[in-house]
Amino acid sequence: MQSFVRKYRENLSFWLFLAPALLAFTMVIIVPFLFGLYYSFTNWTGGAQASIEWVGFANYVKAFQDPRFLYSTIITIVYTSLNLILLNVVAFSLALLVTSQLRLSTLYRAGFFLPNVIGGIILGYIWQFIFNQATPLLFAFIGSDYFVNNLPILAKADTALLALVIVSTWQYAGYIMMIYVAALQNVPKDLIEAAKIDGANAWQRFRNITIPMVAPAFTVTLFLTLVNSFKQFDVNVSLTGSGPAVNFMGKPIPGVELLAQNISNTGSVLRDNALAQSKAIIFFIVLVVFSLIQVWISKKREVEM
Amino acid sequence: MKRVLALVAVFSLVLGVSGCSNNGGSEPVEITLAQGKPEIDGALKEYATTYESKNGVKVNIVSCGGDSCQLGDKLKADYQAGNMPDIFQIQGIEDYNEWKEIIMSLEGSDWMEDTSLTYYVDGVPYGFPVTVEGWGLAYNKDLLDQAGIDPATLVNYDGYVAAFEKLESMKADLGIDSVVSMAAGPGMYWVTADHNFNSLLSNGVDYDDMSVVDSLLAGDVDGTRLQEYGNWVNLLFKYADKNVLTAGGYSDQVNAFVNQKAVFVHQGNWIDGDLANAGASFNIGIAPQGSMKEDTNGIFVAAPSFYVINKDSKNVEAAKQFLSDMVYTEEGNDYIVNKAGMAPAFKNITLKPTGKMTNAVIDWNNSGNIYGWKQYNFSSSFRTDTLGPIYNQLATGAIDVNKFVELMTQAFKDNAK
Repeated sequence: MQSFVRKYRENLSFWLFLAPALLAFTMVIIVPFLFGLYYSFTNWTGGAQASIEWVGFANYVKAFQDPRFLYSTIITIVYTSLNLILLNVVAFSLALLVTSQLRLSTLYRAGFFLPNVIGGIILGYIWQFIFNQATPLLFAFIGSDYFVNNLPILAKADTALLALVIVSTWQYAGYIMMIYVAALQNVPKDLIEAAKIDGANAWQRFRNITIPMVAPAFTVTLFLTLVNSFKQFDVNVSLTGSGPAVNFMGKPIPGVELLAQNISNTGSVLRDNALAQSKAIIFFIVLVVFSLIQVWISKKREVEM
Repeated sequence: MKRVLALVAVFSLVLGVSGCSNNGGSEPVEITLAQGKPEIDGALKEYATTYESKNGVKVNIVSCGGDSCQLGDKLKADYQAGNMPDIFQIQGIEDYNEWKEIIMSLEGSDWMEDTSLTYYVDGVPYGFPVTVEGWGLAYNKDLLDQAGIDPATLVNYDGYVAAFEKLESMKADLGIDSVVSMAAGPGMYWVTADHNFNSLLSNGVDYDDMSVVDSLLAGDVDGTRLQEYGNWVNLLFKYADKNVLTAGGYSDQVNAFVNQKAVFVHQGNWIDGDLANAGASFNIGIAPQGSMKEDTNGIFVAAPSFYVINKDSKNVEAAKQFLSDMVYTEEGNDYIVNKAGMAPAFKNITLKPTGKMTNAVIDWNNSGNIYGWKQYNFSSSFRTDTLGPIYNQLATGAIDVNKFVELMTQAFKDNAK
């Protein structure tokens, strides 16, 4: 009896502690998601409308026939791939740098992390200023005819996308670096010393000890960068907007409109909230599939001590 | 047990916070106005305070506009939350259609006899004109004088070609970077695909004549008119600063004009605030757009937006009175003209704003030489998503003017389907 009461009490406290988080999660994630799922099958506009009608898969069909949406999907994948590589290479290099015997390494750590605390919108405007005002002056100063005679970086779709990769790397590398730093510090010193005694050179120690030991960190960082790149919205909006135009499938369309912004514009500019909602559901499914594949691959590379 | 009780107490507190509010009683009358012009937010709030102290009606002002806030999205969110404002702003037929279920007829309002700009749909009055705005091609009179160019010649394409060529050759003497300050980059499609686009629809066409719009909506393109228009767009782009044109924002575009680095700017009288802030002292005029070979004598003037009343509002009468008082009380007129610096849309208001551009618009309006705003007959999606990218490609040099005309023609045909 005594143990039953204790168990009951423990259970109660468990659920009571969980309740606020559970409630918030249900109200702001689960319920809106279900509403969204429902609306994606209707002609909902979000405004004052006489009645909301069920239209089946019409919105989904429309989404797949929309050249802009297809183009957005393609460049989002391109952007994510570029970002995934550049971001992790930079972050891992920075992590190696600040864990080495460098003077003032704590200061560098803080410095590299700092861009991450600036909001994406503001950061986009800062970099827009740099790309539009500062770089032309720089190019004029170094006297490069190529850049002076060409359009500004943000005025062409391909260079604007590259600019977006640079800015998000700058913003996010410090954060990812911190995860790598934690992992690098947990690599057992004795393993490295043993390898040293056995005559392994620096590269061999790095390749065969450090990398496998920090593999769990890679699982986390790759997941974070993948998901965040896919969901890129704020820097995209403020730095490039929908971007310079390109011709795709015979239609002039915005050239740097990642998926999240495409969905937002479908709702705000095209005023088709139901279509935007169905695109969001497609986006969700694509993102889940990509993340699961990534986690599954990364997990296989982890080693157990 | 005590611990559990404490937990329950904490839990109920957390839940309770959102629960306690609205405890009845006879509340004073309160109305909410949602509007999309952030530049008049301060003046409007000040007027609302004055209004409350005089009439006992509390008016909440919600401003949402510019880069950071979309009024359309804000209204949808408010509507879904059951929190729709009593008075809100619409821009034209597209907004009207979105909210027609709740927009009430303003039949019988006293202010209607003092304005020609009431917003009608099918003969029913729905909208109160917020102000009058206008654009053509604004010019720096001092620089034109210095170059020996008479603004009276700026009435057709050839007149502009001659003027632009002359100014281009005198760039160093005048101390300018470019002849025209134009923007066609991302985020600036409203300058090209809204305002400039209207030249195709409206220039040289009677104020209420919808024939050009109707045939374009039907996919029936007048090749000559479009070709002349294409040449005009190309001319503006050719004499514009490349960086501002392809990558600049609103402030880049306007500052070039304000700082006398460009002779012309493709903007309307809303830049008065920027001119005043910079203390610009040069003389300003507005010339008609040169989108045709033929002479045109007029600029584009209309009410850009309208206040409409939510018929589900609990305080419809107070909302109506608030709008009427803006027109017929001294404080209301003072707010519109002196505080907000807007050109009044009502004939009975005799006050004059100080802005140079606004006065130029008022002069054109009084002369009667004005053309309408017809761009809103095309959906915002068509303008921003379809036409905007075409202008942008011409600006970046990805296409030439012939391809521009071809793509525009195709766009109208696709739109008509």
